[in-house]
Amino acid sequence: MLSLLRFGVISSFLFSIISLSILALKTFSFGKKPLYAEPRGDAKKGVIYAFGRGMLPWEKESSSKHLPTYVSGMLYHAGIFAALFYLISLIFSLEQSKLFIPILRFLFFLGFLGGFTLLFKRIFLPTMRKISCPDDFAANIIVDLFLIFAFFHTYLVRATPLFFLLAIVLFLYIPVGKIRHCAFFFYARILFGLFYGRRGVLPPKKHKI
Amino acid sequence: MKDLLEEKIKQLKPEDLKKALQVFREKLNQESAAYLNSCVHCGLCADSCHYYLTHKDVQSLPAYKLSLANGIFKKYFSFVGKNIPGWVGAKEFNQAMVREWIDSLFGRCTLCGRCSLNCSMGLNIHYLIRTARSALAAIDFVPPGLQSTVDTALEKGNNMGIAKEDWIETVEWLEEELQEEVSDKQAVLPMDKKGARLFYTVNPREPMFFPLSILAVGKIFYAAGESWTFSSDNYDVTNYGYYSGDDDAARTMSDRLVQSMKKLGCKTLVLAECGHGLNANRWEAPEWLSKKYDFEVKSILEIVADYIRQGRIKLDPSLNPNPVTLHDPCNLVRLGGIVEEQRYILKHAVAQFSEMYPNRQKNFCCGGGGGQLAMTRFSQRRLKAGQIKADQIRKTEAKVVATPCHNCIDQLLELNKHYKLGVEVKTICEIAANALIIDKS
Repeated sequence: MLSLLRFGVISSFLFSIISLSILALKTFSFGKKPLYAEPRGDAKKGVIYAFGRGMLPWEKESSSKHLPTYVSGMLYHAGIFAALFYLISLIFSLEQSKLFIPILRFLFFLGFLGGFTLLFKRIFLPTMRKISCPDDFAANIIVDLFLIFAFFHTYLVRATPLFFLLAIVLFLYIPVGKIRHCAFFFYARILFGLFYGRRGVLPPKKHKI
Repeated sequence: MKDLLEEKIKQLKPEDLKKALQVFREKLNQESAAYLNSCVHCGLCADSCHYYLTHKDVQSLPAYKLSLANGIFKKYFSFVGKNIPGWVGAKEFNQAMVREWIDSLFGRCTLCGRCSLNCSMGLNIHYLIRTARSALAAIDFVPPGLQSTVDTALEKGNNMGIAKEDWIETVEWLEEELQEEVSDKQAVLPMDKKGARLFYTVNPREPMFFPLSILAVGKIFYAAGESWTFSSDNYDVTNYGYYSGDDDAARTMSDRLVQSMKKLGCKTLVLAECGHGLNANRWEAPEWLSKKYDFEVKSILEIVADYIRQGRIKLDPSLNPNPVTLHDPCNLVRLGGIVEEQRYILKHAVAQFSEMYPNRQKNFCCGGGGGQLAMTRFSQRRLKAGQIKADQIRKTEAKVVATPCHNCIDQLLELNKHYKLGVEVKTICEIAANALIIDKS
């Protein structure tokens, strides 16, 4: 049973990777916008900014004015990465240090809290409801369940089949809805950095000429 | 009164919708497709939009505006959207959607790019909104005022429809004014001077309503001993095709300036104080024309800042004693990268300068961009959206608002009246020219 589920997790993961690759190829088939204008700034510095300083909460109003949401989002994603790491270790039967488990458990819990906070916000804020579609709720719930089962699994090894089953659902769902942003986020940030870097808008210069 | 646009929507045929979708698809590239696949509907862009902050309705929320374009992308160009549209927010492109696109994408957006800068994913939201505008432009659904501005520019060579002889006469009159002001009969405002170093463009609103801003630039060039020229035709720095989303019209307008550069054999195309004119001609035009320019394109602000730095002009700040604040035009600063030059000039030209907050890349749009000033059907919304800017200005307690953009000037003048701010609104060159020390030798 467990071997079958393990096979299922690996297969669904591969399905996810292949589907996302097809999606990426389809996206690239739209063709690159050629750029002819002479750059004013440094595109590379823009990209470094996009992944570095540009991610800090005080750099954008969207995070500085919504610090709890920013923190929730960061914790959510930290929890997800930790849970994926935990899943890999289970699939390949890698030994976990006993010291490491409480840290992971804590991350799963915080991640779940972060995800649940965002779901709560989406359900109860009228504006958020209006910009949401069923996928927004489904994606959040699937990931929240994945995190909470990862958390319980650290206490209850017998929960492995359920945890694997949720991992299968998660991997199968990734290409369908918004979780696909896991593949596009990095490209979108690169584009952000290139656009503003090339135009000399970002990184912001020190206030002198 | 009959709403002509509404009448047109009712008469929309399936082939029109198909054409709009086709153009929407043609305008999409891998960058925009990636953006459209990345929006997570976090809604954090809300506070970055002056429309949302002042109207508080979901239709003004950038994520909502983006979802209008994204819904169509999903429905027609994605596998999941085609098969389970309701699940992922894919939407039908029909009469109701065209109506909503016009209302939200033209009527609630100035393409200021503040949402793009604040997007947690980094999506170029204003660029996607312009792409959707292109689809509407293809089926002639640009709101009438904006479309007529584009049409006038295409037909008459400038967006105010100024006749060539009137333009030349205005410059001749301004030349006499300049000679009187600098007490030098040799002072000129050169027209069609071949081989000059700079070709200086103007916003047609200047000869029509603000001739003193042309005189100010002429005075600065005179003081710097610059080799420069106007062109008797093809001098319009504005490009309303950028706002309407009509790339063909935008290409034609920008190409005219390129043709003037060729005809005059100048080294640098100098763009007047016009935010979208800089974005269109400095950044977008080479893309529209699919070629690298063999000449420099600069803002007049870069030129004047260089004069001060090189000691080619001298300014006396005590000649501008009133407190001055600066409004950053979105297209020039956030999208154009001209951030510090205007500050450098003002710090040398005025006695008291204070920033409004937030400023530079993070500054709020005044509400005059995106073609809003030309679309009278949305003017009440525009004025309300300008409330943030009015509050920013009031907090500085400045008596003069400087801004390097004529669209912004028009909006700020309206805000001044509407919100009773009691300020003067001037261009940077007007302020700099007023502080000039003319060396008679």
